[in-house]
Amino acid sequence: MRNIFILAFNDLAVALKNKTIYLVLFIPLFVFISLGLLDRTDGDVNKIKIGLIQEYAYAPEITRSVKAAEKSIEVTWVKNEEEGTRLLKEHKIDGVLVKNEKTPGSLALLVLKKESLPTVAIVQSFSALQKAAEGSRPSWISDIRALYAGGVQRQTLPTWILMLVLLVGFIILPAQVAEEKEKKLLLALLQTPIREVQWLTAKLIMGMVLIIIAVAFLHLLCRFGTVNLFGYIAFIAAGSYCFSAFGIFLGFLCRNQASARTLGVVFYLPHLLPSALSDVSQKLTVVAPFLPSYQLYRPLQSMLLEDGRIADMSFDWLYLVLVGTFLFYLSYVLMKKRWLM
Amino acid sequence: MQLEIRDLTKLYDQKRGLLPTSFDVIKGELIAVVGHNGAGKSTLLKMLANWILPDSGQVLIDGIDLRNRTAVVRKVGFIPEVPNLFDFFSVEYNLKLFAALFQTPLLRVDEVLREFNMIPFRKNKVQVLSKGLKQRVNIGRALLADPPVLLFDEPTSGLDFEMTKEIYRLLIGMHDAGKTILFTSHRPEEIKSLATRIMVLHEGRLVFDGPPQKYFQSEVHENLYA
Repeated sequence: MRNIFILAFNDLAVALKNKTIYLVLFIPLFVFISLGLLDRTDGDVNKIKIGLIQEYAYAPEITRSVKAAEKSIEVTWVKNEEEGTRLLKEHKIDGVLVKNEKTPGSLALLVLKKESLPTVAIVQSFSALQKAAEGSRPSWISDIRALYAGGVQRQTLPTWILMLVLLVGFIILPAQVAEEKEKKLLLALLQTPIREVQWLTAKLIMGMVLIIIAVAFLHLLCRFGTVNLFGYIAFIAAGSYCFSAFGIFLGFLCRNQASARTLGVVFYLPHLLPSALSDVSQKLTVVAPFLPSYQLYRPLQSMLLEDGRIADMSFDWLYLVLVGTFLFYLSYVLMKKRWLM
Repeated sequence: MQLEIRDLTKLYDQKRGLLPTSFDVIKGELIAVVGHNGAGKSTLLKMLANWILPDSGQVLIDGIDLRNRTAVVRKVGFIPEVPNLFDFFSVEYNLKLFAALFQTPLLRVDEVLREFNMIPFRKNKVQVLSKGLKQRVNIGRALLADPPVLLFDEPTSGLDFEMTKEIYRLLIGMHDAGKTILFTSHRPEEIKSLATRIMVLHEGRLVFDGPPQKYFQSEVHENLYA
């Protein structure tokens, strides 16, 4: 029993020394903060933004009920269905109430995607309003029309792709760089006429190739395509460049593999979750754009689910390339200084 | 002069390391750098190998400034105490990788394998080799580009008597082939008959620099190793 305690104590000391133990503190802290951001229900945070068409005569019960529910529903009056569609595409509103061509006199809800939280929220809210105003009469919304097709599986695709990119960037690459430093392999390579920038570029290419293979394999397995293939490839390339450079930089901040793994997780979760959860939390939608991962996630989401074009997302593309280049440069400086080597 | 070292300095936390040190090395010398642990021996060699950047000072190797790393690497081969090879690859892969990076003909790999009696192990993964064999691969790798200066950091550390003799035999062979060699050791008795010159470092200072006969009669040896 004594030996078990001694060994357990030693294991804890090792975990403390290689910083693995920090994850035990970091992950609960991160979850706590994330839950705090998700669980806000007060005020404007979860307000539904609905578009109503000026030229269409809605039943007075509807307009009255919507006005009475102004704390939970924000109404935007639009000239016509075209304007409503435009605002919808720009994510300025969650849905538009339009005429239902199939059933005259009833309404259809026009949304971006059928299987989404905003759509469920609108239907639930209007169902509750209608029940309160008219009892058990037929529902105001008799049909749901989506601008973009695609099931729940496809909607999760940008998150999976982001996960792959970040996995290579924050978990695989830092550990590999740190391993080469720890085992003095990098110093052995620097005993040859290679230049520092060549080694860094090779690592960058390796990271990008791993990411591109992983993403292509996922698309092949799931048979998901995209309308704007060129733009999509350009974003995957920029994202893989940015996060490979990020991973190399993290590797340079660590002396050994264990530290690199810990640091990788510390960066991985905050980059993955806010971006992936921004769809279900408006609060996170505000926070997420500060992360480079969101500048990849949003364009991926737009191109995979909403037929977005790269021309509309050139800032995000440039941002990824610039962040990647900056981190590449920092890695170069650290390598020149033989940082923790 | 093959090596010109002027005021080479590296301090860790203002305590350990190497205080300003100057010396010259003539082509073909076999120099043993001796001293206790922490004396600055490895720091000196690692600086000459560009593993550690000096705080100050200048080093010229065949007239080339040490800071010109890509040129100097063809002049200096460094063999660290712990072999730093890609363990999960074969001996041959390791040598071919470095030969490719040195832009040396791949035939040179076969020459090195033969020279170091590594032909039977060429397909073996490095991780399954003994420390002595790994050290041989390490030395072979350093010789791929045929550098005129070789630096060995504790080449016999952790090796048994037979392997130690084998490494010394290799050192003598390379010296006879005209190489300039600097190697560190904290066991001066062992290198009595090996070195042509002994340099003693103590607490970061060069406290003796001369021929072995003179060293073993000196006060420095008496004080440090008696």
